[in-house]
Amino acid sequence: MKPRLASFMDYYYETMYPSLKILEAKRLQILATLKKMALMLLISATLLCFFLVHNAIFLPLHAFLLSAMSSVLLFMFIYRHECSAYGALFKDLVIEPMIHFMDSSLRYSQMSSMREDEFHQSELFVESYDRFLGHDLVSGMIDGVDVRFCDLHVEKKVRDNNDKEVWDDVFQGLFFVADFNKSFHSKVIVLPDVAERNFGVLGSWMQGINKQRGELIKLDHVEFEKFFVVYGSDQIESRYILSPALMERIVQFHAKTKKPLYLSFVDSKMYLALHYTKPLFEPILRHSLLEFDSIKAHFELLAMIVGIVSEFKLNEKLWSKR
Amino acid sequence: METLLIVIGILLLILVFMYNTLISKKNQVTTIFAGLDAVLKKRYDLLPNLVSSVKEYMVHESITLEKITELRTKALTNTLPAGETIALDKQLSSMLGTLMVSVENYPTLKANENFLHLQATLNELEEQISAARRAYNQSVNDYNNAVEMFPTNFMAGFMRLERKEVFSIPARERQNVDVKNLFQK
Repeated sequence: MKPRLASFMDYYYETMYPSLKILEAKRLQILATLKKMALMLLISATLLCFFLVHNAIFLPLHAFLLSAMSSVLLFMFIYRHECSAYGALFKDLVIEPMIHFMDSSLRYSQMSSMREDEFHQSELFVESYDRFLGHDLVSGMIDGVDVRFCDLHVEKKVRDNNDKEVWDDVFQGLFFVADFNKSFHSKVIVLPDVAERNFGVLGSWMQGINKQRGELIKLDHVEFEKFFVVYGSDQIESRYILSPALMERIVQFHAKTKKPLYLSFVDSKMYLALHYTKPLFEPILRHSLLEFDSIKAHFELLAMIVGIVSEFKLNEKLWSKR
Repeated sequence: METLLIVIGILLLILVFMYNTLISKKNQVTTIFAGLDAVLKKRYDLLPNLVSSVKEYMVHESITLEKITELRTKALTNTLPAGETIALDKQLSSMLGTLMVSVENYPTLKANENFLHLQATLNELEEQISAARRAYNQSVNDYNNAVEMFPTNFMAGFMRLERKEVFSIPARERQNVDVKNLFQK
């Protein structure tokens, strides 16, 4: 069942509020430390700049740049250190209770992640990568359906225009896997349709001749076809998996989330990847936690994720899966 | 002379490409039809069990049951062309639909475990048949487009390829299927 915002609001004020006061005190303390540090760094940077110019070690511009950059770097280091401690506490006192409020049987682990073999098995991202980082793993049963999801960041090293090595995203966002409500043997990959939207018929033709992902599956749902391109290993079973009802639900889910959506159906499991540009469960330091609105977005995100099971009706299993 | 040879070469390549496209689309229809036929056969195999388990309860539906048996025999005894298979499937689906609606009038049958098992299997097969019909229709649509569109229509005429018939998908299959309701029937 989908958790309701109104009942969570009651839970927030009745159960979570006392512990949030401790967290709020910590937040204010961190903010005060950061302000103090910023002031100290500003003063030391100014002094350093004067010293370097006065003793003619550097030109004024170089001295300014050196002192400013070293102060900024030092501040970034302190900021990250303080934020990570606060982030861990925030997850303990906000995210975990929120998850348990939604479903007390769910397990949450801040430091755990989906396994790399699960990522490979999904076949959603075939690019090679150099860094695989995941955290905030949630696992358990929702309405009798086995689910696992986490915040995932997969990157690869590339060279930019200046031949400098930089990190490029292969995927960042929510990675979700659940048991599908039908048994099947083939695989189906649903990806955002970039080629057809940009190049029209030519894009569609290109998708048809690209056999790397499998056969192109043309489906009879106009709206779905507009947003997604589907590859599969069996024309009939792909349509058995992607019934008109499921396609409709995917379209509605896509319209609601407004994020690039990737889906695959492999080994009777459904993999879902939703692209985000920032970490999912991190707090915003400048927002007070004693205001409900500041954690409302986190609740809505988690409710959306937990709601995937009922949204896609994964709990309504066909007889052979019971 | 060289230009002429290049032009002939290009024309030949285009002809080969068109020929291969048409053959691959024709074969695609045949392959998917075989898949559809296999699922339909699974349903035909289930029917004797279904008929025998409901016969003693549904005394007022004997005509429907006889018709179902007759259609099954017809479907299995002959090697039917695609058009007839489509027509038979349509009739059988409609008969089974009527039968399942009538089940509502027989509470003892609705409580029979063997029947519920058969009904669940049948529902699942219906989902598979629906998927196979959609796949078949898409492949026929691609094939018909190639047969009728310029310039492949000339090649199709030369190869004596003709339009193929599609399944008419029942309106209820186009709607969002509520699996929960299927099992509550």
